[in-house]
Amino acid sequence: MGGLQKKKFERGSATNYITRNRARKKLMLSLPDFRRLCILKGIYPHEPKHKKKVNKGSTAPRTFYLLKDIRFLLHEPIVSKFREYKIFVRKLKRAYGKTEWSAVERLKENKPTYKLDHIVKERYPTFIDALRDIDDALCMCFLFSTFARTGKCHVQTIQLCRRLTVEWMNYVIASRALRKVFLSIKGIYYQAEVMGQLITWLVPYQFSHDHPTDVDYRVMATFTELYTTLLGFVNFRLYQSLNLVYPPKLDSKAELDLKEENEDDYAMSSESYYEKLSALSSSLARVVSTEEEEEAKLDQFPVEGEDMDKMEAREKEQKQLEVQKKIFEGLKFFINREVPRESLAFVIRCFGGQVSWDKSVCIGSTYDVTDETITHQVVDRPNVDKQYMNRYYIQPQWVYDCVNAKILLPVEDYFLGVTLPPHLSPFVEEKEGDYVPPEKLKIMALQRGEQPDGEEEEEEEEEEEDDDEEEEEEEDEEEEAEEKNLKKMEKQKSQGKSLEVKVTPGKLKVENPARLEQEEQAEEKRLAIMMMKKKEKYLYDKIMFGKKRKVREANKLAAKRKAHDDAEKAKKKKARK
Amino acid sequence: MLQDDKQLQAGNMAARRRLKRVASSQPGFLTLKSSLHPTDLAGNRRKRVNKNKKKNWNKYSDINDVEEFLEDVRHQERTTGGLLSEKTDDNLFYVDLGQPEKPEQKAEDAQPDDGKKRKGKSSRPLRIDLILQRDSLVPPPKDILAYQQPNAKKLRRIAQKAEQLAAKGVVPRRQKRLLNRRPVDRTAKKAEANNNPDREYYDIWEQQPKVTADPWYLQQTGKKLVKRPEKLNEKPSVLPAVEVIAPGGSYNPDFFSHQALLQEAHEVEVQKKKQEDKLERQLAVNREDKATEETNLREQVEGLVEEEENNEEAAPSMEDDEAALAAIAVTQKKTERQIKKERAEKIKEQQRLANRRQTEQQQQLFQLRSIKASIKKQDQKTKDKQMQRRAKQEAQKAQPRRLGKLKFQAPDLDVQLSDELAGSLRQLKPEGSILKDRFKSLQKRNLIEPRERAKFKRRLKVKYVEKRAFKEIT
Repeated sequence: MGGLQKKKFERGSATNYITRNRARKKLMLSLPDFRRLCILKGIYPHEPKHKKKVNKGSTAPRTFYLLKDIRFLLHEPIVSKFREYKIFVRKLKRAYGKTEWSAVERLKENKPTYKLDHIVKERYPTFIDALRDIDDALCMCFLFSTFARTGKCHVQTIQLCRRLTVEWMNYVIASRALRKVFLSIKGIYYQAEVMGQLITWLVPYQFSHDHPTDVDYRVMATFTELYTTLLGFVNFRLYQSLNLVYPPKLDSKAELDLKEENEDDYAMSSESYYEKLSALSSSLARVVSTEEEEEAKLDQFPVEGEDMDKMEAREKEQKQLEVQKKIFEGLKFFINREVPRESLAFVIRCFGGQVSWDKSVCIGSTYDVTDETITHQVVDRPNVDKQYMNRYYIQPQWVYDCVNAKILLPVEDYFLGVTLPPHLSPFVEEKEGDYVPPEKLKIMALQRGEQPDGEEEEEEEEEEEDDDEEEEEEEDEEEEAEEKNLKKMEKQKSQGKSLEVKVTPGKLKVENPARLEQEEQAEEKRLAIMMMKKKEKYLYDKIMFGKKRKVREANKLAAKRKAHDDAEKAKKKKARK
Repeated sequence: MLQDDKQLQAGNMAARRRLKRVASSQPGFLTLKSSLHPTDLAGNRRKRVNKNKKKNWNKYSDINDVEEFLEDVRHQERTTGGLLSEKTDDNLFYVDLGQPEKPEQKAEDAQPDDGKKRKGKSSRPLRIDLILQRDSLVPPPKDILAYQQPNAKKLRRIAQKAEQLAAKGVVPRRQKRLLNRRPVDRTAKKAEANNNPDREYYDIWEQQPKVTADPWYLQQTGKKLVKRPEKLNEKPSVLPAVEVIAPGGSYNPDFFSHQALLQEAHEVEVQKKKQEDKLERQLAVNREDKATEETNLREQVEGLVEEEENNEEAAPSMEDDEAALAAIAVTQKKTERQIKKERAEKIKEQQRLANRRQTEQQQQLFQLRSIKASIKKQDQKTKDKQMQRRAKQEAQKAQPRRLGKLKFQAPDLDVQLSDELAGSLRQLKPEGSILKDRFKSLQKRNLIEPRERAKFKRRLKVKYVEKRAFKEIT
């Protein structure tokens, strides 16, 4: 039994982890620099499985990193840049202290900088990887672009974020990629489909900032630093894929349209071009000027059986998508000044509508209020002084609801001063048996192409819901009728009266093949249930019970809703009287 | 004396020297200083010393007289522009015609207008300039180099040669080198900052930069980019980057979804309140622990009142001692017979157990079914446990981990109460901060560890003192 005595914490998980402070010392960086490096390189702290083993017997909570990760960081060229920057700051401070202004100037001119290009390439080896991770980048850039330029972060960063977000929005417009919009109390959620990836991002309402104190701005700025680089490269690639010029340029035709005499009122001449771009009102220049690309048709492959169904479903979906992309085509909108301009302009342009606003609101308006061809005017005030006959005055929610419903909804519900129907979240996908709010049912009916008139359609929905139940009931009724007849005859017999022999014309029993088939299926199902093993049967019952419970709950909610609605109606009626 | 003069004034111009010599030797030479007399210059008897040593020259030759004389000459030259003795009478004297009446007029003029006077004052040169002005009448020495060039001949020759070469079309080497020098690339862009709003982007995923350098060199000099381990591309959490708010969070929500969201928020609050209450309950002072008059009294009297319990306790200790003695007595040596007997019993017992085991094993043959069942049961149990563990691990992937000192604190749900809901988009008041939402999302996805803002810690105590001026008022 020889050999050296094994020492504790010299092998195993104790050697796989390293505490934050030790890692920092190993890299010879200050804590903020270390944190920055970790964020940029995508190296995150790790919770060990056995804290006590890793922490040399202590259970004190600590931040651990994997040692291999830190070793990987040692090779990063940016580390030396951080050190250089530290020295730069020291020298600058010194020069300031000595009031050597020429030295300050010289130092500032040679300020060390670094690029994150190689990190982006390293972290996202392919374009699709980058696209998958773009949600965060978009959120952050949209957020930073709305910051006030008060010194909470660099003004340059804010400007860059604004530029990138404008580029992104222009791309989404050009590619018609927007799918869903949701106005929440926090901000506006958008969802777009870019190259098959669903991308969700959150845009704050304008001027809604209070600066919370418990947020580490430095950390957020570091994330933004990485994300601006990432988003820029992604934008470039996306523009290339659409044959658009990058950096974006206005279409030459559009540019002429936007020429105005009093441009200088809004922005300096150097900025006005950019402002026009960010107004989102006109299309972008293409590298190869083609009017409209031919729409790619779904490739047809000979398929059989189940695949055929899937194929058909897909085709149908595709068609629906095509329709959705063009719902605002041919419509001309005018946005009043009290409505969030950017969001509406973005959404309307994404679906092919034309949009303009008052000249005094923003640069880049294309036509006036007085234009006779305007079809919709978006207004968010109780009444408008001068109304034109040939246009609808609607509230902004109509636009968003149309986008989510994928059809043009009836305008009547959204007129001025009308109580709006609720704005439903398009991100909720109801499963079978879930409670569906009646407004959604209405929209679904509209999507199917039914033409509802007021309350009737609501009942229709309900009827549809309990179709199956009714069928069963019908059967019962028939049986009951027959039984009644028989009973009647028996009674007459017992009373001793001679039977009134009469030949009544028989009814032709129409055999409904569809119904027969259904019955057959139901029978089969019943038999299958009977044949189940005990265990499976138990499971099946459980599932069915769950489903029924769901239905019951949904029904309860529906009933509640109806009661609520009735109460509201009654109230209204009372108020009217 | 002449010798001395020559030695000391070696630097002076020859002509001037001559002039001075002539002047001093003349009997009618006037000096400005009266004490100096030409006959004194010959002086008293001097001490005899060897004059073959340079040291003695310096030590024993009295040159004061010469110095003074020369100083005087220089003084005359400076002030009058030449020697007084050589000046004509016209230059030295003038006819006194009495005082002119000018100063009176000036005084009269000065009083009526101040403006003119001031004007004259401003045009007068400053005193400092007057002091610095050159007042010597001796002209400054001419600069030789102004008209004499050192190495003129050589330079001229070189220039001639250069001309010849230029005529032939030969460019000198130095110029050639200058011409050949690579022009400094002034247009080369300075490294621009990362957040420069006009920065350029390119297709980063398309082009693969060709590495031409020797890989070994790159590796050794640390210039080679290390490949990123695949494992680092895994996300630390399965949560999506953007979690969409519940449908009740719509600005114009459906009644029931809004109620559901409110219910959820309510539940969170209730949970919080429960915990708070629990803490409070635990911290509350127990009624029974409170000091009453009785307990106070008992405490004060503690030890003063004799208790009889102590006596009773002493008695049983005697019994304990006896038991210990008995135990020692038991461990006496066994007899041989006893040992044998015990061994036999032991063997017998072992045999009995072995037999029993064997029969049991034989019996197990008939219990095969139940054994199988039990094994199956055990298997099922382990499988279930595995499943549970796996499910737990999966669930934990969506949970925020403990990454530092602080636990992740879920942010408050953003909710607007029914009366806070806005009727239209225009009147909407946004709830919560997106910045905070993003920050918390990063923490929730384990990208950063939860931290607290560093508290400001004062190292030295602050002392407040009322200033005296303030004190007087109050």
